[in-house]
Amino acid sequence: MNPLSLFFKKQYAVEEKIQRLLRYLEDMAHLYKGSYEAYLDGSSDEFTQRNEDLNKIEKEMDDLGLQIQMTLMRESLMPDSRDDLLWFLTKLDKVPSSFKHSLAEIALEKPEIPQDFKVPLKKMLDHTHKAVKALAHATDSLFTDLRAVRQHVEEVSRQESEVDQVEYKLLQSVFENEKYELARKYQLKGIFKQLGAVTNLAEDVADAVLILATKHST
Amino acid sequence: MAALAAGLTVYWMTKLGLPVSTSQAIIGSIIGWNLFSDSYTDISSLLKILSTWIICPLLSAVIAALLFSISKIFVRKIGVGLIHLDGYTRLALILAGAFGAYSLGANNIANVMGVFVPVAPFPDMQFGQGFSISSAQQLFLVGGLAIAVGVFTYSKRVMMTVGSELMTLTPLAAWVAVMSHSIVLFLFASERLEQLLANMSLPTIPLVPVSSSQAVVGAVIGIGMLQGGREIQWPRVYSIVKGWVITPIISCLLCFVGLYFLQNVFQQTVQRDSNYQLSASVIEKFQKEGIETDGLHELSGTIFRTSAEVVRSVKDKVNLSSKQGLKVVEYSLQQRLIVTAEKIADLDNNGLSPVQLEALSKLAGQTYNYPWQLGDALSEISPEWIVLGGGLKDKLHDRDIKQKLAFLYRIFHRREL
Repeated sequence: MNPLSLFFKKQYAVEEKIQRLLRYLEDMAHLYKGSYEAYLDGSSDEFTQRNEDLNKIEKEMDDLGLQIQMTLMRESLMPDSRDDLLWFLTKLDKVPSSFKHSLAEIALEKPEIPQDFKVPLKKMLDHTHKAVKALAHATDSLFTDLRAVRQHVEEVSRQESEVDQVEYKLLQSVFENEKYELARKYQLKGIFKQLGAVTNLAEDVADAVLILATKHST
Repeated sequence: MAALAAGLTVYWMTKLGLPVSTSQAIIGSIIGWNLFSDSYTDISSLLKILSTWIICPLLSAVIAALLFSISKIFVRKIGVGLIHLDGYTRLALILAGAFGAYSLGANNIANVMGVFVPVAPFPDMQFGQGFSISSAQQLFLVGGLAIAVGVFTYSKRVMMTVGSELMTLTPLAAWVAVMSHSIVLFLFASERLEQLLANMSLPTIPLVPVSSSQAVVGAVIGIGMLQGGREIQWPRVYSIVKGWVITPIISCLLCFVGLYFLQNVFQQTVQRDSNYQLSASVIEKFQKEGIETDGLHELSGTIFRTSAEVVRSVKDKVNLSSKQGLKVVEYSLQQRLIVTAEKIADLDNNGLSPVQLEALSKLAGQTYNYPWQLGDALSEISPEWIVLGGGLKDKLHDRDIKQKLAFLYRIFHRREL
């Protein structure tokens, strides 16, 4: 047992809660991918079930995030680190919300996805899943080994760039296709953009992780 | 009056939020006293102290820049997370703060209370068997409590100036600033380091009172400069430097004016009468110490009332360096010493070795017109009383002998009163 843990009990408690938060985030990324894929495969029951599971985790994550913020407010860290962590948690909190909103949009609009787009969309989902996992690893490194943060952040950027490329090709296919009406084109554009926004957000948060790691190690 | 003038100056500057130095204020007051009382000021010692007011912040800046670079590399290498790093930094800050406060206490209590030690008004306090608090310890306790009250009342603005107005410091930078300032205080205050350097025949660092405020401000600027200097609030730096320049001047003026009022308006005695006389033995002593004596016999028998007056008169006749001026003052001061057996018995060794004490005992019943004559007599009896004057290696030994002699001069002179 690390003898310093006796002195820094509160700090380690925060660290443990943040680790739980990251596991939730990874679970959500997994459920998001599964739920979206179920929709694309036409399994509406599975889509609904996974969507509900995701909402439950999002609620638990919200509660846990609030607990962490309250613990931080009770001065368990130095003001500088505390402010940085609160700023970061506010940013991180937007990622689960983006999963929820993306699936809520699908559930509400029930868009008909053309068969040609399903494989690229699954590819996008796969990259999104990997991006969020890399974000969770980057955040984990922020609390375990600052040196390892950069490589995970670079992985997030790589995945985001892949998502961007697929998204652009999908949009090109939609708008070059004369079969679709303009309203459908804009509906599909919205769906793709919403999916792309998740990785954009993951990249923003990863940048914040890198800023914190750089600031605290220099 | 000197302490009051210094205290008032520091109080005023602290109210303005400027980190000023107690040492600077005290030096200013002493110069005010010297000017008022026409006492001789050793210019070379004064220049040495003034030079540390420039060297101290510069050295602190260099140490801070080095330490900051090393710390950054260390933090990058150790591979811990943000929360662990926060914990370690917090612990390091607490320890560095405690070390800094300890160094400050060890240095500054002398600035605050040192001048009162010879006239401490408190009797020794005895608590049961074997535990007592001497009058000097009581004095330092009062000083310590007063410093603590100062921290609670007026230090916040100065803390804000150093901590955030000069530059926004990260916790690591704050730790580096405190450590650098403590290292600088240690360098200028450690007799052991001086001895070590002397033993290695390296130049020693002068043991002079340096300003902790200057050291900490220098450290913050050093860190800022390492990062390109853009974050440093230069207007604030200029106002602090202005404070450093005017502190000794204000303190000097306050002391001078205060002494004038004490003496001429309130009819108080502000100065003990002293006589300086160049007798034949004094001139012979000058010769031994390498001071030119041609024409000094004309001054023989003249009584000078102030140390500056005797130095001026000697300078009119011969060339005199600043250090020699100090020797002229030391050797020409008339102070009748009576060495009595009772006083020697009361000494109860007091840091004197048995051989030194035995040599002193042999002089019981002797009287001297000049204090240095006692020193010379002792060195003739025992080599343990000899001031070697052999350069760096003998520096600490010589200082020890001189401190013991100064103690004896006070004891035997006071007994006569």
